Amino acid sequence: MNAFRSMVMIGVGTLLLCVCGARADQVKLKVAVSHPILLAGQKQTAYLKVGLTGVPLVAEEKRAPVNVAIVLDRSGSMSGDKIRKAKEAAILAIRRLDYDDIVSVVAYNHSVTILVPATKVSDKHAIYAAIDRLHAGGNTALFAGVSKGTHEVRKFLSENRVNRVILLSDGLANVGPSSPQSLAALGSSLIEEGISVTTIGLGLGYNEDLMFKLAHASEGNHVFVESSAHLARIFTREFGDLLSVVANEVEVEITCAEGIRPVRVLGRAADISGQRVTSKLNQLYGKQEKYILLEVEVGKMSAETRLPVAKVAVNYQDVASRRAGRLSGSAAVSFSKSARVVKSHTNNEVMIAAVEQIAADNNVRAMVLRDQGKIGEARKVLQSNTQYLYDNADRYNSKRLRDYGGSNYGDAKNLSPGKWKKRRKEMRKMQFDYMH
Amino acid sequence: MKPKLVIALLLIVLVPLGLMAWLGLRVARSERAAVEDSFRKLHMQKLKDVEATILKVVGLREREMLALADSLALDPGALRAAARNNPAVSQIFVLSEKGRLVHPNIETRLNRDEEEFLTRAQQVWKDQAVFHRPAGETTQPSLSRQGWYSWYWGSGVNFIFWRRDASGRIVGFELDRYRLIADIIAKLPESRLTAPETPTGTLVLLDSKGETIYQWGDYLPKKQERPLVGRSLGAPLNPWKLAYFTPGCGPAGDFGSGAMFNLIAALIAVGLALSGLAIYFYRESSRELREAQKRVSFVNHVSHELKTPLTNIRMYAELLQMNGDEKDDKSTRYLDVVVSESQRLSRLIDNVLTFGRQQRGALKLRKTAGVVDEIIDGVLESFRPSLEGKGVRVRFVTGAPGRVLLDADALRQIVSNLLGNVEKYAPDTGEAEVHSSQQDGKTVITVSDRGPGVPSAERESVFKPFVRLSSRVTDGVAGTGIGLSIARELARLHGGDLTLDPPEQGTTFRVTLVTQPE
Repeated sequence: MNAFRSMVMIGVGTLLLCVCGARADQVKLKVAVSHPILLAGQKQTAYLKVGLTGVPLVAEEKRAPVNVAIVLDRSGSMSGDKIRKAKEAAILAIRRLDYDDIVSVVAYNHSVTILVPATKVSDKHAIYAAIDRLHAGGNTALFAGVSKGTHEVRKFLSENRVNRVILLSDGLANVGPSSPQSLAALGSSLIEEGISVTTIGLGLGYNEDLMFKLAHASEGNHVFVESSAHLARIFTREFGDLLSVVANEVEVEITCAEGIRPVRVLGRAADISGQRVTSKLNQLYGKQEKYILLEVEVGKMSAETRLPVAKVAVNYQDVASRRAGRLSGSAAVSFSKSARVVKSHTNNEVMIAAVEQIAADNNVRAMVLRDQGKIGEARKVLQSNTQYLYDNADRYNSKRLRDYGGSNYGDAKNLSPGKWKKRRKEMRKMQFDYMH
Repeated sequence: MKPKLVIALLLIVLVPLGLMAWLGLRVARSERAAVEDSFRKLHMQKLKDVEATILKVVGLREREMLALADSLALDPGALRAAARNNPAVSQIFVLSEKGRLVHPNIETRLNRDEEEFLTRAQQVWKDQAVFHRPAGETTQPSLSRQGWYSWYWGSGVNFIFWRRDASGRIVGFELDRYRLIADIIAKLPESRLTAPETPTGTLVLLDSKGETIYQWGDYLPKKQERPLVGRSLGAPLNPWKLAYFTPGCGPAGDFGSGAMFNLIAALIAVGLALSGLAIYFYRESSRELREAQKRVSFVNHVSHELKTPLTNIRMYAELLQMNGDEKDDKSTRYLDVVVSESQRLSRLIDNVLTFGRQQRGALKLRKTAGVVDEIIDGVLESFRPSLEGKGVRVRFVTGAPGRVLLDADALRQIVSNLLGNVEKYAPDTGEAEVHSSQQDGKTVITVSDRGPGVPSAERESVFKPFVRLSSRVTDGVAGTGIGLSIARELARLHGGDLTLDPPEQGTTFRVTLVTQPE
């Protein structure tokens, strides 16, 4: 669910909607308000969605070269089938890379070993041979592994490459900084450089909070694989995403108009300074939509007024053409005294995104309650979340919401101690998918 | 004698060997300490090099932030953007010249990062004096222009680099702690995939709580293991430490065993040499012993050979004495001398033979029935002429008439030796007394003279073989020095003893014998 979204809420009177689209080469921008027509004469909340969609490269276009570090856990718990499958998956993924791509392979246990320093993928067999030497044993210095992996990526860091660390771990980090907060801090520092970390959790032994936060903060992907048999598929899909990247360093700046107060950005890190909201999305894949959803407060307005909500500017690096791209758009609202008119003009797409984010938040809340041992309360939250999702799925006719409702229903049924360990990882994975 | 010799020889071998081992160990130990010390110094140097690498990262950060501070416009938008776009910096703050927090401005709307920063940095505002500390020790009231500040918050130590501009405002940069750690790790070496056969040590970077931040090397230190060397990092990373761990006991494995081998080899060589010497001495001394025994057996043999002709001489002389012409005074006198001298010679030979048997451990008694007084009387009879010739008259007070079991020859020898001593050491003293008594299966015989006596210091040593008193008493008197020894041994074989009575006047020897009635 790599969705890039943004929403602004607007409140007041009349009704007016403006959806502005722009298309500059590889990225499509769509700015929309949840309620283009708002009720006049009262303060209210609305969502502004800034959607960005990658336009897939056509066959003859040259894709962006990737600069990827594969960071593999080689602690004792990985021994046997897991390490063998991980090696196979890494080799299979590297097979898809070309001469222009950069790859490095780092393995960590209690210390870190650089199997393949960052290098052009010219001699694949040497790389395979280096990976093949890998064996498992020892502790888990995850932080150091990521540090070394990003250092390898940094050697060839370029806005025209897809810079990425792919981290595979099956266990709890126990050497060096190991808290989810520490990895989240590292992740948000890396995104400022344009490096994302994709985290692949293998089996039931890893810390999903740590893996979730690292991927979330750095705009990477987060995947849960229960069996090492599926690793090859996961690696292939991740590399498929990387090879389809159309834009890098995507920066969104939303400037709210007077009378509009930006409240919060749902589900993603953003900086709100006065009327200006900024957020960074790192990479945009072909065919994929990412959005920023901004909640705004709209002041009292009289009917028939038209009010601009926000101007949106998007800067990105077009990796195919190696040019900087810039898009802009804006949204406005009108005001009406009729609640029926307001309702009939509601933008389903924006509302679906808002519901997704709210439901994901509820899901996180339920998870925290379950962590505190409050199984009953957690179940209640999940049940009402399910209802909330089903209701909105019907209202906005959304399969995505219905699916997430089903998933929340399943969560509510899997809170018992025996099932929780696995379910929690699945929940984290779904939260990640719906937030991105 | 033999165990003594063995002990002496063992001492000859073991004492120098032990001494040498002790010295050798001391030398080896001090050598090892020296080697360890140089090993430690070597690794301390390694730690210093690593520290320099780490501090270089910090120095680079410092320069980046100085450059940033120079170019930074101090308006909230620019400050926020700078904090957001600099991966190494998590927050920027500005203090006015009066120490008031200008940015983040709590009177305006703060973003979440800023709110969190204000929470964790409360300590910093309390410690504000740190920014106003005078530079160095100079007497000038000039304030330091820039510096580091670290404080504990959350799970570790946080770092701030600050700089004062010309107007006295302070711009501070809070470093992203984890990014700093990640960048330091990136600059530090990594480990090999497979440890070689002789693994090197492992270097560990530890945080303020002693927990590992990063480690590299072939060796995995155990929990609670003490490092070979450790070092705290220089400012501003003082709360962090570097430690070096090696497998086993470190350098001892490489160097100590060599010294130990040399020492053991030297000890074995010296031990062999000393043992050889000891064996040589042992063989020499046992050869001398054998030769002495040969000489003793020669003397015994000769004595035996002498005994038979002497017995004949005595027998015929005594026959002549009995049948002699009473009128021929001269012949009678000569015969008396022959008899007495042959008796003396016979006693001497008996003593030599008895002593030889005693030395061989072959001295045994042949007990038969006999009367003590009769035996003493017989001996006195044979001594009378020579004693009288020396001016000593012996008075015999009899008191042992019972017929008892004893070795008559042995008793004769005891009494002869005692009377021989009287003859030798107490001449011209007028009277000597022999006294015998018998009671409860015990016979006591005393022989007293009025001679010069035995000095009290030598009362026991007279009974040891070959001891003759070197004084006026023995001067000019011939003797073998074995008479009393033999007499005492024979008395002891009889279950009794031979002692010297406390001196009153002259010498009194007391013979005690256990004599069962027949």
